Amino acid sequence: MTEAIQIHNQNFKMHASGVLFWEEESMLLISDVHLGKVSHFRKFGAAVPQQAVQNNFTAMDTAINYFHPKTVVFMGDLFHSSLNTEWELFEIWVAEQSTNIILVSGNHDIISPLKYEALGVKVIEELILNNFLLTHHPEERDGFFNFCGHIHPAIKLTGFGRQTVRLPCFYKSPIQLILPAFGTFTGTFTLQAKKDCEVFALLGDAVLPVTLSESKRKGR
Amino acid sequence: MNRNELYNIAETWFKEQKWKPFKFQKDTWTAFLQGKHGLLNAPTGSGKTYALWFPVVLNYIKNNPDYKTKHKKGLKAIWITPLRALSNEIKQSAERITKDLGTQMTVGIRTGDTSTKERFQQKRNMPDLLITTPESLQLLLSSKGYAKVFKDCSAIIVDEWHELLGTKRGVQMELGISRLKSVSQELRIWGISATIGNLEQGREVLLGPETTTLKNSVLIKAKLHKKITVKSIIPKEMETFPWRGHLGLKLLEDVVPIINKSKTTLLFTNTRSQCEIWFQKILEKHPEYAGEFAMHHGSVNKETRVWVEQAIRNESLKAVVCTSSLDLGVDFAPVETVIQIGGPKGVARFLQRAGRSGHSPGKESVIHFLPTHAMELIEASAMKQAVKHEAVEDRIPYLNSFDVLLQYLTTLAVSDGFYPDEIYKEIKGTFCYQGISEAQWQWLLNFLVMGSQSLQSYDEYKKVAVEEDGKFTVTNRGIAMRHRFQIGTIVGDANIVVKYQKGGYIGSIEEFFISKLKQGDVFTFAGRNLEFIRVKGMQAHVKNSTKRTNKVPSWMGGRLSFSAQMSELLRQELYTAALDKKQQSIEIQSLAPMFKKQREESIVPKPNEFLIETFKTRDGYHHIFYPFEGRGVHEAMSSMLAYRISLLMPITCSLAYNDYGFELLSDKKIDIQEVLDNNLLSTEYMLSDLQKSLNSNEMARRKFRDIAVISGMVFTGYPNKGIKMKHLQSSSQLLFDVFKDFEDDNLLYQQAYTETFEHQLEEGRLRLALERIAAQEIVWRTCTKPTPFSFPIITDRLREKLSSEKLADRIKRMTAILMK
Repeated sequence: MTEAIQIHNQNFKMHASGVLFWEEESMLLISDVHLGKVSHFRKFGAAVPQQAVQNNFTAMDTAINYFHPKTVVFMGDLFHSSLNTEWELFEIWVAEQSTNIILVSGNHDIISPLKYEALGVKVIEELILNNFLLTHHPEERDGFFNFCGHIHPAIKLTGFGRQTVRLPCFYKSPIQLILPAFGTFTGTFTLQAKKDCEVFALLGDAVLPVTLSESKRKGR
Repeated sequence: MNRNELYNIAETWFKEQKWKPFKFQKDTWTAFLQGKHGLLNAPTGSGKTYALWFPVVLNYIKNNPDYKTKHKKGLKAIWITPLRALSNEIKQSAERITKDLGTQMTVGIRTGDTSTKERFQQKRNMPDLLITTPESLQLLLSSKGYAKVFKDCSAIIVDEWHELLGTKRGVQMELGISRLKSVSQELRIWGISATIGNLEQGREVLLGPETTTLKNSVLIKAKLHKKITVKSIIPKEMETFPWRGHLGLKLLEDVVPIINKSKTTLLFTNTRSQCEIWFQKILEKHPEYAGEFAMHHGSVNKETRVWVEQAIRNESLKAVVCTSSLDLGVDFAPVETVIQIGGPKGVARFLQRAGRSGHSPGKESVIHFLPTHAMELIEASAMKQAVKHEAVEDRIPYLNSFDVLLQYLTTLAVSDGFYPDEIYKEIKGTFCYQGISEAQWQWLLNFLVMGSQSLQSYDEYKKVAVEEDGKFTVTNRGIAMRHRFQIGTIVGDANIVVKYQKGGYIGSIEEFFISKLKQGDVFTFAGRNLEFIRVKGMQAHVKNSTKRTNKVPSWMGGRLSFSAQMSELLRQELYTAALDKKQQSIEIQSLAPMFKKQREESIVPKPNEFLIETFKTRDGYHHIFYPFEGRGVHEAMSSMLAYRISLLMPITCSLAYNDYGFELLSDKKIDIQEVLDNNLLSTEYMLSDLQKSLNSNEMARRKFRDIAVISGMVFTGYPNKGIKMKHLQSSSQLLFDVFKDFEDDNLLYQQAYTETFEHQLEEGRLRLALERIAAQEIVWRTCTKPTPFSFPIITDRLREKLSSEKLADRIKRMTAILMK
């Protein structure tokens, strides 16, 4: 279900649902949930199945019950668009939580921070802990290792017999780890693997490190 | 005025033109004036427009004897054309009649190209005769007070019905007609169709099965026999002729003498990219053609296309490379010769293209077939037989297309609203929805109002509302506006307009291609080399470039499958390979070197043999089966067989198919003996195995794309309006997954499966093919390298996947390729 990594002597666990747990800080990082997206579509006449709404909340509960973190940090794009009825569900959900909740706001987060603060959710632009920098957009800052979201990363795997498969993933470079999108009704963007990066694919019930290889065949 | 007097008017007019009306034209006039409905089977360029415009005008004269002095305003007839490019031509012939006969009738066009101002004027004052497209007709139904507009309409004529029949636009037509039948009491319904295998069914679909309309109708055949000669271009050196490929450039020089010999030549290609490449290459090798050589395809801008069409007519062009964009309508008398590059994938299309040449009466049509790879010579030989026997394909009409119905219901809700009971009766009478159940209908109504079957308290779903008296309406202006933009069932990838940075429209390309370009990349489009600068809104900005490039935008062309009859002819031709040279066609004779090569490690199958080849390359283990049954059957058979094999052992396969055979490619060897021992090609449980195989591959997922757009689940944005609706855009793939996980009883989701099943896979033919194979002797050959027969299949890029392995096991053997 999880895959462990160490970054700057700190211990992290990547979970198959796409969340990242920081053991020393007891902090759970969740990125790009895009709550309200389903309702937003429905409000505009596209009948996306309603059950997908509930799924986001149950998936968050599952992840939290697995790690029992002290703090939950949403890495941006928590809400897809403006206020709609899913906010009420979010209010109820927050009330049930015993953890600290922080939102590092992203480009989709246009709901007033005051609304969040009324629920006890802290809204910030970025979070710095020791030499770790948590942002929504990927950033490169000297002396910091960056955790971020925004990209919705996926990776394309190929194998013998012209096999291919595309999976959402954690994408790690020496200075950065991009989290996959957590939300049920969110797409992905396929990244290319680079030298000195590490990729961990989400398989639904497992996280697996991906073998990277030089292209063997030329001209294909 | 009695009928004879009316005929006199018509015949006098024909005399004045020094023409004589054909029997089919007179038959059509009579039937129409008797108030009958019907289907007219006549090819392009036969005078079919006069067969139907005339009775429309004569009928008006009959009802308005003082037609020369007084004008009774209002819509009299609607002419539906599938291509708006044809509308001008149709208008001209209509105006010729209305003017020459001294009526004051007006003729108007209403398509996507019509300006807003003109549309507005039309709304206040409809022309007597309206030429429009299926989509624009739907748009008319989405405007308030449409019933009044159509009240006195005497006829709806659907031109090129064969083009619409097997498509969702055809379904859209069925629905539109079902509404007009109720709104306009005097309506006659007529279709015009080229020859197809199922003409009778075509009539039934147009008029509605078991309706009084159908009973009161006729089928008129033009019976104009035209001599068509097919000549294959035989490669001079068969030894070096490629075994695969689809461009055909190898034979470029063989085309030149043909072009030189005739006045105007049309070169038909199968895709727009092939069209671009041929245009470029011919000019490169033969710059002397510059100025009298042009290109015509659907993505070239309208002005250029109109110019090309005009230039063909006034004989100022020597040759034009084109795609199906020149298949229909528009008579080009000066065209003397037609060259078909690559297999035309369809006898009907081949005949239609052949008919483009030698238009003057009595002249024969000549079409040259240029093979792009060796196997296509067999196809060429079979095509000759097919032309002789008129072995034309069927167009299979859709059944229960819930996506189109939802779109239509929303359309009615947007205009004047609708009462379900009334509309239910109407759609029950159409071919497409004759089998719809009460429960399905209720589901659809619920879906429109609540977005699914159960209403939950926090839901804000908004689309169609129900008024107190039970009328379904759309009151939200935003929803109405978005719906009007979305009307239309031809689904393409999002299109991006290509423009010069300084302005100047060049054409439109699918977003998929543009998304792969980086700034500075050079690509060929509309016959020019263009450097990509940036995408802004829905536009790609470019500038001219002198750099050479091999990047040509690709368009996903429709891949038609061979009909049962054509496949049979193909097999017969192949079987002649075993005969004496004298008994073979020249195409088969010319293939002798390839057959020799094929026989080195394998065989050329005889009528009683079913060939299976296996070999290994660096791509993996290839397992190739040759039923020679046409693409559709192979698609189904490969899917079913792969599924059955996956039950025997955990395996992952990639499937490829063409009209000759199919391949299962895997990273592991499949034991063919085990496949045979377990009788995996049996017809037993065929249906359920086929159905189950669909769950493990992507076919249904791909079908869902169109369904999601048509039913209004995915909003594609406002074309060319530059308004971004990003927050409402999602991929249909994403939606498919959400349905799969949370609402798999949704009728639209299920439609994706039934459509694949019924429309793509041709279950009936699969059964016959399996029965035929059961009676054959199976010849399994293990080879050391690919055979000539296998080449076109194993190099196919479009593949289906099927897997019975755990994802974790699979990806352990896979890698991500590093960026260079």
